[in-house]
Amino acid sequence: MPAARLGRVRLYARRFTRSRSALTGVVIFVLLVVYATAGGHLAGRDWSAQDFLALTRPPGPGHWFGTNQGGNDVLAQSVHGLQRSLVIALSVSALTTVVSAVAGAGAAYLGGRVERLTLLIIHFLLVVPSFLILALVSNRVSGDWRILIPLLTFVTAVLPARVIWSVSTSLRERDYVLAAEFMDVSRWRIVARHIIPHLGALLVVNLMLGVVNAVLLETALSFLGFGVKTPDVSLGSLLADGGSTISSAPWLFAVPAGLLVLLTVSLTLIGDGLRDALDPTSAAGGRG
Amino acid sequence: MVRYVVRKACGWLLLIVVATNVTFFLASWFLDPRSNYRDLRPVRSREQIAHALEPYGLSPDWSVVHRWWFWLSDVVLRFDWGHSPTGVPVNAEIPQRALVSGQLILLGTLASVVIGVALGVWTATRQYGLADRAALAVSIVLFNVPTAVGALAFVLGAVWLNQRAGTTVLHVASASTPGVEGTWASITDRAGHLILPTLNLTVLGYVSWHLTQRALLLDTINADFVRTARATGLTRAQAVRRHALRASLIPTVTSIAFTIPAVFTGAIITETVFGWEGMGRYFTQTIARNDVDGVVAVAAFGAAATAIGAILSDLATVALDPRVRAS
Repeated sequence: MPAARLGRVRLYARRFTRSRSALTGVVIFVLLVVYATAGGHLAGRDWSAQDFLALTRPPGPGHWFGTNQGGNDVLAQSVHGLQRSLVIALSVSALTTVVSAVAGAGAAYLGGRVERLTLLIIHFLLVVPSFLILALVSNRVSGDWRILIPLLTFVTAVLPARVIWSVSTSLRERDYVLAAEFMDVSRWRIVARHIIPHLGALLVVNLMLGVVNAVLLETALSFLGFGVKTPDVSLGSLLADGGSTISSAPWLFAVPAGLLVLLTVSLTLIGDGLRDALDPTSAAGGRG
Repeated sequence: MVRYVVRKACGWLLLIVVATNVTFFLASWFLDPRSNYRDLRPVRSREQIAHALEPYGLSPDWSVVHRWWFWLSDVVLRFDWGHSPTGVPVNAEIPQRALVSGQLILLGTLASVVIGVALGVWTATRQYGLADRAALAVSIVLFNVPTAVGALAFVLGAVWLNQRAGTTVLHVASASTPGVEGTWASITDRAGHLILPTLNLTVLGYVSWHLTQRALLLDTINADFVRTARATGLTRAQAVRRHALRASLIPTVTSIAFTIPAVFTGAIITETVFGWEGMGRYFTQTIARNDVDGVVAVAAFGAAATAIGAILSDLATVALDPRVRAS
């Protein structure tokens, strides 16, 4: 029934747009994406190009956000860094959602040995200092951002997988799962078509808040020098550069710090708005 | 009660042992102690490097299991946690660093929980009031500030303050001033250095406690048992304090242990920014210097901190929740 589906989506949209803070989040996030994709033209030069006539120059005409010690334009660098951080965080969060949903729901439905093994791995990873493992491996692969993505996914998927597992243990007892079993639907198909769709709201919220989590983790790693490394830049490594000259050249710190906070705050506002909109008991969109 | 604590402690000890040993294998796999000798001049041969590393049990000619056995027997028999690839004993580094980081983590966690819970209770009783909305807005922004940004902002503020005042009001670097003599003078000096890093961990850490405690208290504040308590003649404040708050504190207290790894990660960055020679700095230094034994010691410290937090939160749960029996 397409009409009913449309109605539900429209209801979610109405609830979401009613929240002023969620809309603010969307506007900030869209502006940041525009900045990351088109901001390069504003700078007028490549992020890795060095201007030896302007070393550590404060913000002003020509270099709107100033330059760093090597004469790199901070505006161009921040655009590139934001791009890197966004690509890493968005793909990590998407992968984390898929992995945690399949692992959590799969373990809950398949049961037996698969469930015990998955839970063992999850509980073990909750105890072992995961940040240390992350730093060890990421330092070894010397900061290639493409390898950073599966690595961060592995660490961030643990907690959501545990939550999804505990929610799915009640879903697997439902009558429609039993009905599907009687109709001889294959086991993975039941997981994919009958269990995971019922986790929709949880997964959407996880997706948004997972991006925040990934941004913070990537920033922490790159700040310590174990994540994205020179010559490449991300917001975290820019922050580390700015931190060393914080009193002599504060703009090197202020630009990536401002972008980071705007990014994480906007994503959290969107995530909260989505949670309210998708919550069946929500009061956000009931009236009118 | 004692038996309960002992049983819990044994379980955690087992987890620490497993986590530490797994970290040893991971560290041996991903770190290469030989690289510390590769840049030396004159160039060392493969045999010379292996020979230099052998007394520390890091020889690349040994199998991983052999190196692991060397390390494990030293730890178990003599409580010797090994050496860095250049021969600095880990045991000489740890006590001082563990003390420095321990006080940072302890103070940071305690202050965060106390402030966060207090704020959560205060705002929950004023839901949707001006104070509640303002505190929520501040918390949502702070919740999203990366630790590095927060720490650097504190440094920036302190430097500005020091310049305005003309003297060092707030210390921004290292855990103590070198050359300070006398017990009292060194205590005040250390306390002065503690202010900013602890403040940083607290300001970024209290937020999650505020938000969860507010939500939990709002769930219980309209429960039937609170209304019953009001009906017996208690004031609203008394009913909230004695009945609603006590019930809503239980989930908060149980989750303290699981925030300690996050606090430790925060402490790593805070120590890096403020130049503290604690376990957090040791963490970055050992990984950068391919120091297998040092990395393992850091992992053991992190796991031990989590275990201590877990046992303390178990004890608090026993004290708060009459349904949990400790016998």
